[in-house]
Amino acid sequence: MLMRESLLDKDVQRATETPVFRMLPDADVIKIGGRSIIDAGRAVVYPVIEALAHSLKTKKLIIGAGGGVRSRHVFSIGLDLGLPTGVLAQLAMADSLGNAHILGTLLAPYGVVAIPPDIFGHLLPLFIQSAPGVIFNGVPPYSLWEHPPATGRIPPHRTDAGSFLLAECFGCKSLTLVKDVDGLYDRDPKTNSGASFIREIGSSELRKCHLETLPFERVLLDLLDTARLLRSFQIVNGRRPETITAALKGEHVGTVIHADHQPCRS
Amino acid sequence: MIIRPRSNRPSPSNKLGLVVSELNHMQDDLLTGLGRSLLSGSLDDERLMVQTSEPPAVQILPEANVIKIGGQSFIDRGRAAVFPLIEEIVQNLGSHKMIIGTGAGTRARHAYSVGLDLGLPTGVLSVLGTFVSMQNARMLHYLLAKHGIPFIEPAQFPQLPHYLAERGAVIFFGMPPYIYWQENPLVGRIPPHRTDTGSYLVSEVFGARSMIFIKDEEGLYTADPKKDRHAKFIPKITVSELEELDLHDVVVERSVLEMMKHATHRRSIQIINGLERGNLARALNGESIGTTITSD
Repeated sequence: MLMRESLLDKDVQRATETPVFRMLPDADVIKIGGRSIIDAGRAVVYPVIEALAHSLKTKKLIIGAGGGVRSRHVFSIGLDLGLPTGVLAQLAMADSLGNAHILGTLLAPYGVVAIPPDIFGHLLPLFIQSAPGVIFNGVPPYSLWEHPPATGRIPPHRTDAGSFLLAECFGCKSLTLVKDVDGLYDRDPKTNSGASFIREIGSSELRKCHLETLPFERVLLDLLDTARLLRSFQIVNGRRPETITAALKGEHVGTVIHADHQPCRS
Repeated sequence: MIIRPRSNRPSPSNKLGLVVSELNHMQDDLLTGLGRSLLSGSLDDERLMVQTSEPPAVQILPEANVIKIGGQSFIDRGRAAVFPLIEEIVQNLGSHKMIIGTGAGTRARHAYSVGLDLGLPTGVLSVLGTFVSMQNARMLHYLLAKHGIPFIEPAQFPQLPHYLAERGAVIFFGMPPYIYWQENPLVGRIPPHRTDTGSYLVSEVFGARSMIFIKDEEGLYTADPKKDRHAKFIPKITVSELEELDLHDVVVERSVLEMMKHATHRRSIQIINGLERGNLARALNGESIGTTITSD
């Protein structure tokens, strides 16, 4: 049917909606915050490592790493030098890769290491069979091909997005984002003591709130809307590492964001 | 970048902790105000993001032209279409720098068909499309090899400026390197960002002087001219005007139009009929042949 058809024909597009195969339905994706966790030092990181090590005994984990303050710094210099979005995206890959190696060092005793980006996606199902978990740099391989953002020049698809897209494509069981806040609030809890905690919310509903800041990459709301397999994710506070263990068991201990409409089928 | 610890002396017992803490926060007097805000602020704070449009982005390869050669529309036609175009590319080598991307075409359609039937995720379909686009790039590359023009993969893009300066052209596959990280489309399951998009983003990130799509029609029509004899040719249109027309089918990937809205540099694209001899040179020389689509 597709052979000589235009892939831009709306009828052709609609006709291609088919059920999606889950490649790694027993694996959980968990992204460890860069600035929120890895940059925070030993007192925060070691307990998180312990929580991961505990979960690795019974679960298959795909662990993404955030870029942290070094990504911020390279964005800052890059912007000042007038470098475009795609270049900033390419540069940022190195910071989260460094953090992936940091996690890999601390999880090495469990056979869980950082895998180079070029082979990671292709070999993931093999690695996850042979080790309790794998670590990747979290950043999607968009690089120079990153999309120009609607506002400003910071790359929109960063490590939350990379972790989400991986979990979606591989049909993983869950996505957990480990940050340094309990979850979503109606205002930034770090600057507003009266901020209210939001335990669960849909993506469309959240958009309507027009919150000025979010504890995760804004693009995740769009990714949720088009997700076929990963229809929610959870944010937990890594400074309370027991929430990591609980989240990986499927418990709702932080904020859950879910997709609240079906992708277009007709 | 020089990291400067604070000047007031800490007590010996917590000196290491203080230095570590300084390093962790990357305190740096050399950073701009925006830089300091980026270090401490949220990258999902719209108020902060607005500030990151300045200073203006540089054009990395302002003399380069990005040319995308259609897969289905062009390369699948074989010798009859490809050989004359190769000759035209060679003729223009002396006067224009060309970064040449390739589409995918019929084999990608087949792969998508098989993949959809098996329920493969969009990200996997993206891998399959990449391989086809790569085959086309390799084939054209061999036809241009005697002119010393390389085929480069995304990993070799750091070398692109060198090859462009030395040889005048490079060939790459148009598919962006998203593979498993390709976004799902809103409708259906075909990867939304394909070879038009990948080629377009190369023109945008490098600040190239043009983005020329070589297809097998004069340009954009109100309907597919292959199916509708009454389709009207559109020589010039903006992205928003095109969206308003809500055409059932368009000559260039919708994702390109979406990205053009937010592009820093590449705010116009040109679609030409590569089957007509001389059109490539005309487009490279700045003539408004075919269809020009502008961001505003």
